[in-house]
Amino acid sequence: MVKRLFRRFVWLAFAAAGALCLGGIAIHRGEPVNSLWLVVAAVCTFLAGYRLYGKFIAAKVLCLDDTRATPAERLRDGHDFEPTNKWILFGLHFAAIAGPGPLVGPTLAAQFGYLPGTLWIILGAVLGGAVQDFVVLFCSMRRDGRSLGEMAREEIGRIGGVSAMAAALLIMIIMLAVMALVVVNALKFSPWSTFTIAATMPIAVLMGLTLRYWRPGKVLEASLGGFLLVLAAIFAGQWVSRSPLVAPWFTWGTMALAGTIVIYGFLASALPVWLLLAPRGYLSTFVKLGVILMLAVGILAVRPPLQMAPFTRFVDGTGPIFAGRIFPFCFITIACGAVSGFHALISSGTTPKLIAREGHAFPIGYGAMLLEGFVALMALIAACVLDPGVYFAVNSPAGIVGATPLAASAVISGWGFPVTVDQMAGLAAQVGERTLFARTGGAPSLALGMAHIFARGLGGTWFLGFWYHFAIMFEALFILTILDAGTRVGRFMIQDLLGHVYRPFSRVHWMPGILLSSALIVMAWGYFLYQGVRDPLGGINSLWPLFGIANQLLATIALCLCTTVLVKMHRAKYMWIPCAPLVWLVSATFTACWQKIFSGLPRVGFLAQARVLQSALDTGRIAVGQAAETRELIINARLDAAVCGVFLIMVSLVLIDSARVWIGILNGTRSAVLHETPFAPTRLNAEEI
Amino acid sequence: MRRWLAFILELLREIGDENAYRRHLAANARTHSPAEWRRFFDARMRSRYRQVKCC
Repeated sequence: MVKRLFRRFVWLAFAAAGALCLGGIAIHRGEPVNSLWLVVAAVCTFLAGYRLYGKFIAAKVLCLDDTRATPAERLRDGHDFEPTNKWILFGLHFAAIAGPGPLVGPTLAAQFGYLPGTLWIILGAVLGGAVQDFVVLFCSMRRDGRSLGEMAREEIGRIGGVSAMAAALLIMIIMLAVMALVVVNALKFSPWSTFTIAATMPIAVLMGLTLRYWRPGKVLEASLGGFLLVLAAIFAGQWVSRSPLVAPWFTWGTMALAGTIVIYGFLASALPVWLLLAPRGYLSTFVKLGVILMLAVGILAVRPPLQMAPFTRFVDGTGPIFAGRIFPFCFITIACGAVSGFHALISSGTTPKLIAREGHAFPIGYGAMLLEGFVALMALIAACVLDPGVYFAVNSPAGIVGATPLAASAVISGWGFPVTVDQMAGLAAQVGERTLFARTGGAPSLALGMAHIFARGLGGTWFLGFWYHFAIMFEALFILTILDAGTRVGRFMIQDLLGHVYRPFSRVHWMPGILLSSALIVMAWGYFLYQGVRDPLGGINSLWPLFGIANQLLATIALCLCTTVLVKMHRAKYMWIPCAPLVWLVSATFTACWQKIFSGLPRVGFLAQARVLQSALDTGRIAVGQAAETRELIINARLDAAVCGVFLIMVSLVLIDSARVWIGILNGTRSAVLHETPFAPTRLNAEEI
Repeated sequence: MRRWLAFILELLREIGDENAYRRHLAANARTHSPAEWRRFFDARMRSRYRQVKCC
């Protein structure tokens, strides 16, 4: 009894501490806030949310049953299906869901100030993202590890299922393009970064050969060797950047980098997996987990004060990084840090096939997303510890602030964020870059923030350049692994599709099929990348919102599935749990989609942008030499509007189809047929888990 | 501390597929050889690279 009361008191204390810190952050004005306030607010809210809300869902809503055999036990094959230790699987699941989205999104959203992003990451993760991941994981676990598309087809209907699958392919294309653009912007005219990333290719091939022929099965050993070589490459990169002879070989513009990344995507898709993809994948996962841990330790050790204001003037929608008001664009931009539709693909992929006990789905599904929210918050902190003038100088495209350092610093200082040419030149020299102006995409400013935190803990300003390029290497390395793996997955999707037209295409080893389908998927995302590179506003301005919209719409589909399953399980009284984030996502995402298509402001609306350019062309205000480029921009703006429209239609179809099922079941005109695997008692011993 | 280190090592082995390979050998009553590793690895990667990675 006393123990129970004490436990309740502890949780109450966590909740009170979280509320106190959130209140403190919200009312704090006028002087810099220490980042520790944000960390404590997030940790306490996440712990309270986990213990109170998450556990309530696990016990009362989903009624997880530890006596029920999971697919890992029933279909055990030692490969895909294998009962796995809860905490090991937690680590695997977290490693799978932690992508660059929660790092880059919050960095870009910092243009609104630190407060909106912080609040959305904390609340969105507890009430939306974690609920979605957990319930989808539960649904897939009860259906032999079926994918999101398959479950949507079975539980919602054929239209919903087909829309979900088509949306997943389209969303993947946009994601690959925007991620490639982030890498291009991080590496442009930077011989140090370009050399380091280029060096990871032969290092990965060396690892692949080692694993294949010289030390088969020794993945940790090969990865450690690979990591040491990457560190050596970062040091060598500094020498490369200072060498007048070698530096020009690695000083590439955006178009050359984009072309190289497209060729890399094609090769990675067509080459054997063991040679390049798999070793890079291992290396990237280990580096990713290590850097996230380092960042957490760094923030706790250094406790840097936030330089950014809680709100900036750009809440009105005139932001230089991307245009649009705080609602809905802050939520669209943060995307993965709070709610990520892509997690639904992971929660209905590998993880459900490895869960040993149903009860483990709670810490894995709900808990891992809260940890991802924490990663997003750390990225936001890393961006907000930078001087705001520096942050905007790095992230604002030349098309908005001017092409020369003098013009850019004058415009940014005029906004109330003082920055000087000398300050930026000094910082660029410290990190070994030619310039840091207009390095859009989020990755360079995140790397700068991380480098400041790491350098304060280890090495001082003398080591700032190393840490900056270490952070860039980390971001680019794991973005490229997403690119190569995504391109390969897209290739298989296209091969499956073309197999219906001409049967040999469905044979995965048929070389003409491999080459053609690889070329098609690379051309699809390569076109959007090309469009982003050619965009005078830097591309991120149009592509990141498109990616955010796509991601959140996928989450909408996942939450529709969650609600449908709850209604079919006769737990309609709890349907508000997935419905609350669903309503929010629908309102934010549909508003964003609508504004991106129809807003009259050319910086927000794609069609308005096309109209302005068309009228400039028609009235002869565009120079003859630039006419072809302008026509291209008009086509691109219309294409982006069409993509937004297609997303909107697809998700509307899933929503309507789902609502039809819910209303039918609640009115009693439709039977609630669940497609769960029948109950089978578990025979697993505690020692086997 | 030792338990934590053991856990981290286990997690790294799981991420690196070394544990899965050990399970594969035990389940099929086989011994380690370069050819066996290649067979296991190719099958595992075939299924892994059919699934999308998270953004």
